[in-house]
This record gives sequence, structure tokens and C-alpha cells, in this order.
Amino acid sequence: MVPARKNITSMVQQRKEVRWLSFWLAGMTALWAWDALFLDPLSYELLQAAILNTFCGAIVAVAAALAAGWGTALVLYFFENGPRTYFFLPVLFIVNLLRSIPQIIGLLIGYMLLNFFMENGLMQFGAEQIFWMACVIGIMCSPEIIDLIGERIAYFKQSDYFHAMQCCGMKERRIINVEILWKSSSAHLVQKSVSLFGSAIFLQCSIGFIISVGLSNEVSLTNYPVSLGGLLAKLDSKQDILAIGSALINPSYLPHLFFQHLQGVSVAAIIVFTLLCVYHIADGLIHSYDL
Amino acid sequence: MNAATVPSIRSLLESDALRTILFNHFVSILFVTLVFVVLLAVGMEREKNEREQRHEVVGMMGALRNIDFNNPTQKSLFRETLDIYYQHSKARNDSVMQAIDAYRTEQYTNKVYKTGSAPRELSWQNVANLLGMYVNFIIVYLIALVVSYYATQALALYKFIQYKQQTSSYLIRALRQMRLSGETVRNGNNPFRQIERCAGFVLKACIKGGAALMLFAPAYIIVYSLKSTVASGEWLLMIVLAVASNGLLINYAQKFYALLFAESRKGYVETAVVKGWNNSYSWGTPDGIALRSLFHWKKKFPSHVLQHIYMNAHYQYIPTMKQYASFLITGLIVIEMALNIQGHLCYELLQDILYDRYEMALLIIWGIFIVVKGTELIVDAWFAYESAKYENRI
Repeated sequence: MVPARKNITSMVQQRKEVRWLSFWLAGMTALWAWDALFLDPLSYELLQAAILNTFCGAIVAVAAALAAGWGTALVLYFFENGPRTYFFLPVLFIVNLLRSIPQIIGLLIGYMLLNFFMENGLMQFGAEQIFWMACVIGIMCSPEIIDLIGERIAYFKQSDYFHAMQCCGMKERRIINVEILWKSSSAHLVQKSVSLFGSAIFLQCSIGFIISVGLSNEVSLTNYPVSLGGLLAKLDSKQDILAIGSALINPSYLPHLFFQHLQGVSVAAIIVFTLLCVYHIADGLIHSYDL
Repeated sequence: MNAATVPSIRSLLESDALRTILFNHFVSILFVTLVFVVLLAVGMEREKNEREQRHEVVGMMGALRNIDFNNPTQKSLFRETLDIYYQHSKARNDSVMQAIDAYRTEQYTNKVYKTGSAPRELSWQNVANLLGMYVNFIIVYLIALVVSYYATQALALYKFIQYKQQTSSYLIRALRQMRLSGETVRNGNNPFRQIERCAGFVLKACIKGGAALMLFAPAYIIVYSLKSTVASGEWLLMIVLAVASNGLLINYAQKFYALLFAESRKGYVETAVVKGWNNSYSWGTPDGIALRSLFHWKKKFPSHVLQHIYMNAHYQYIPTMKQYASFLITGLIVIEMALNIQGHLCYELLQDILYDRYEMALLIIWGIFIVVKGTELIVDAWFAYESAKYENRI
């Protein structure tokens, strides 16, 4: 057992992404345990639902970005290099257009559509609403995946690797999907997915906050699933965060943050701590795999 | 580079690659403008129809003052009268009754009447108001873009120099001092100096950690932890938040750092070192790096390999400014919307979405799109200019 323990210890010490992943898991577990002990049961339940919704939404957003990015990059490649080159420019035009729309504008348009669907009796379940917004985030983030896949294909096409496999009789579709992207670019895709996960968390929290603060007349907190951003926008959470400023001016107030202002402080801590750790995990992957 | 090799703008515009890029940008601006014009026309037509319908109902209700529509008997009587007078248009009679009901319900339920916000239409006066907000938005955006362009490079260079200096983190240095103090105690000496240093490193680590948390925190968390409201005139706060919060600065500094790191491993750096270029990364030494060069607007490291590492990394960094601009605008929108800064363009957009004034919202979104496209256009032209310089095409 000792060598196995030694291996894990050395991996944590040497690999930044493992170190930060462990740190994030430990931090989140500690916060969860602390909240279980000191946060009132109603808020605790709400917080758990918000964490679940936000993190599930972010995972769906990453999956949607990967699917949309991968698909579009292949469509672009085959239109550019296939017989139907006249389709290439229109698709590229749409992708470039998507790139020029700030993500939050895309999300607001997605939210307006969601509102329209809800008014017409569609998407009445919380899970459907989260899924819809996550897909919108995924589509808005997909140009990053399209660029990455385009770069990887271009890189391998320059080398003999691509042509050698073509000479072996392998189909172009298989070379790109399996040999280049699946076998030789998985580290790049994982790193990009991790970094997109951070972006998705940020965007979800921001749109949740904006909806709850400014747009809650139409889709109120009671019928839109609670997210970390939405929970943060509640008046008591805002007052809790304001207490951080008071603690900075008057350090003797600091202990109160961990007991009296736990809801807002916990939500803020989860968002900021997750964004920090995700950034370091993505950075660690770059160094570990020499990307 | 002498004057003869600096490409002129005219010759640059004559290059096919740049002309294609500019053409694509103009086509997409034209396309989006057309789409927005069509949507605006459809929206205005819909609004006009609704208004006419409303006027018809209001006119009818005004003429029938002796009927109390709250009384079910009088309402039924009115309906029967309609059916008697217009026997062959029952569907129209249904529509009239529905329109009256809808109008009366709206008097009690419409959020516009509840909040007292005046329904705003697309008029010259409102467009002129929007234009003022738009100009303010562009000014804040441009200042934030320039400041963050400078800050990302300074931060990335600082991180790169620290990496080259092989300085360990403050916490590791604090641990070393702790160990040293233990040894000092075992040797029978006073460990005060080591403990003092250890406390200093812990303090520095805390400050660095706090700064890192601030850089990753969304703007609304930072602001609400400091104050409860943000007034519309707090430009400086908005610019600072746009640059430093939402993880923007740290992520793009990391991108620039990655470029510096990749460049530093290329063969020309070793060749330059062999040829006698300075390669020390110590602060302030004659063969090292001057701190003021790092913070200077035009970063220059004369006779040092970092000069060419920086120049090549900077060249590759230019296209990422397009992506950066889009994220910066996302950050600005989040700041203005989440903090409800009244009198600002994105707050107005939020209000327009809230009160279903989609024509106004469309106009604002189009304006924001033009800002992004304008930035992309300038960045592409700048990159083409730099490429022409690098490739000696002129």
C-alpha cells in the first residue's frame, strides 16, 4: 500500500491540475460540511439545489459546446475540401457572426426565447429551462472549440502523418475524427473543456443574477430554477456579501461572516473559489501535457 | 525599422488578404443591419396594429359610458345587442368582447402601469437619448480596452520574469523560514529574524491570494461586498471593474504569458544568448530587467533577449484582441445590468427587455454588435499592418 500512497502524493505534488482539483474538492466538502452545521435548513436546501443546477448546467453547456463545435468544425472542413465548396463561405459567415455577438447578448436572446416558450406552455419544468439555457451557453462558447479543432486538423495536415494514413487507404472522416481528434487531441479538448466549464459557471451565474435582479417580473424566482447567481441576487444574500466589506473595515466582525451571513458568503465563495480552481486546473493541464 | 520599410496605409489597403477581411466584415455588418431593419419593421408594424386595435376598443368604451363592464348583466346585454345589430359577424363580436376584456385586465395587471414606467416607443427623441448612452458606453469600453491591453501585458511579463527568476511561492518561502527558525532554536539562537520573515511571507501570500480572488470574482460580488448601490457617474469604478474583475485580466494575461513562454523556448533565443545578448532576469542589474521598462507603455528591453521574445509574442497576441473585445463587452454588460446602473445603455437594454420594448432592445443590440465588429475590423487591419512589417512585404 505504501508505494500507491507515495504515487498519489507525488502526483499531487508534481501535477498542478491534480493539486488544484484536490484543493477544490477539499474546499467544497469543507464548505458543504460547515453549511450543514451552521446554515439554516431552508437556505441549506436552496443552496444545494443552486449548486446542483449550476454545475449540471455547466456540464451540459460544455457538452453542447463540444458537440456544436466538433460538428461545425467538421462541416467547415468538409465544405472547404469537398465538392460543395459553395457552402463553405455561408457557414463560415455564420460562425464569424456568432463570434461577433458578445456571449451575454446571446444569453439574453436565449432568455427571451425561453420566456416566449414558457408563455406558450412549453418548457414548464426546471430541468428543461436549465437545459435550454445551458445549450445556449454551449452554442455561444462553441467558436472556441471550432477554432481548436480547426487548428488541430491544420497542424496534422501539414505533417506527413495525415497523408501517410490516406495512402494506407483510411477514410478522411476516420483520420480526422478518430486519429487526429480522438487519439491525438484529447488532451487539448479536455483542457479546453475545463476552461469552458469555468466560463459556463461564470455565464450561468451572471445570467441568473441579471434575471433575478432585473428581469424577474416575467420569469420570477418561483418558476425559474434557482441557480447560484439567482441565490446571490436575493436581498439577504446581498446583505451577507455587504457584510464582507464591513468585516474588512472592522476585523472584529469577521467571525460573524461564518455564522450569521453564511448564505451569501457561501454562494460568493463557491463561485469565486470554483473559478479560481478551474483556471489553475486548466493551466496545470497545459503544463502537464505540454499543450 | 527605418522609414522606408514602414508600410503605408495605402499599400496595406491594396493587399488582397486585408481587402478580403474588410469585405467580409462589411458584408456581415450589412447583413446584420438588414436583419435588424426587417425585425424592426415587423415589430413596429405589430405595435402599430396593436395600437390601432387598442384605440378602437378605447374609442368604443369611451362612447359607451353608460355601460358598466364590471356588471355581468350589463356585459351580457351588450353582447346580445352586438349580436342583434351585427348578426352575420359573430366572430367579430367575439373579438370585440375579447379586446374589451383584455384592455380592462391590462389596466390592473400590466407591469408598466404598476411600476409607473412610461411605455416608450421608437421615436427620434428616444433614439437621441440612446445615442448619448451609446457614446458613453463606447468611451468606457475604449478606455477599459486600452487599460486592459496594457495591464495584461504588464502582468504576463511580470509572471514570465518571475518564472525565469525561479522564485518560489510565498508560502513555500514561509515554510523554509519556519524550518530555518526550528534549526536556529535547536542551535540555541534567537529565531526572531526567521519568524519575522516567515510572517512577512505569509502576509504577502494572503495579499496575493486576496488579489487573485478579486481578479476571478464576478463584478457584482466585488461591488456588493463594498457598497450597496452604484451611481451612474462612477466611471472610474466601472472601468476598474471591467478591467480587473470577471476573470478577464487574469485569463488574457495567461494567454500572453503562454505566448512568451512558447517564444522563449525557440532556437533564436539561444542564438541571441550565444551572440552575447543579455539573458539575466534579475531586477535592476545592468544585464537584467529594469522595472520601469515593465511598466512603460512601450515596453523596451534594450540588448536583452526578452525584447524579441516580447515582440514576437505581442505580434501573435494581436488577433486575440478580437475575442478579448467581445468578452470585455460581455463584462461591461454584466456590470451595468447586474448593478442596475441607471442611465447606462445596458441598463436601458434590461428595461427594454423587461417591458417588452423589443424595438428599442434590438436597436441597442445592433449598436453593441457594431462596436464589436468595429473592434474586429481595427484589430484585423492592425494585424495585417504588423504582418506586412514582419514579412517585409512592403
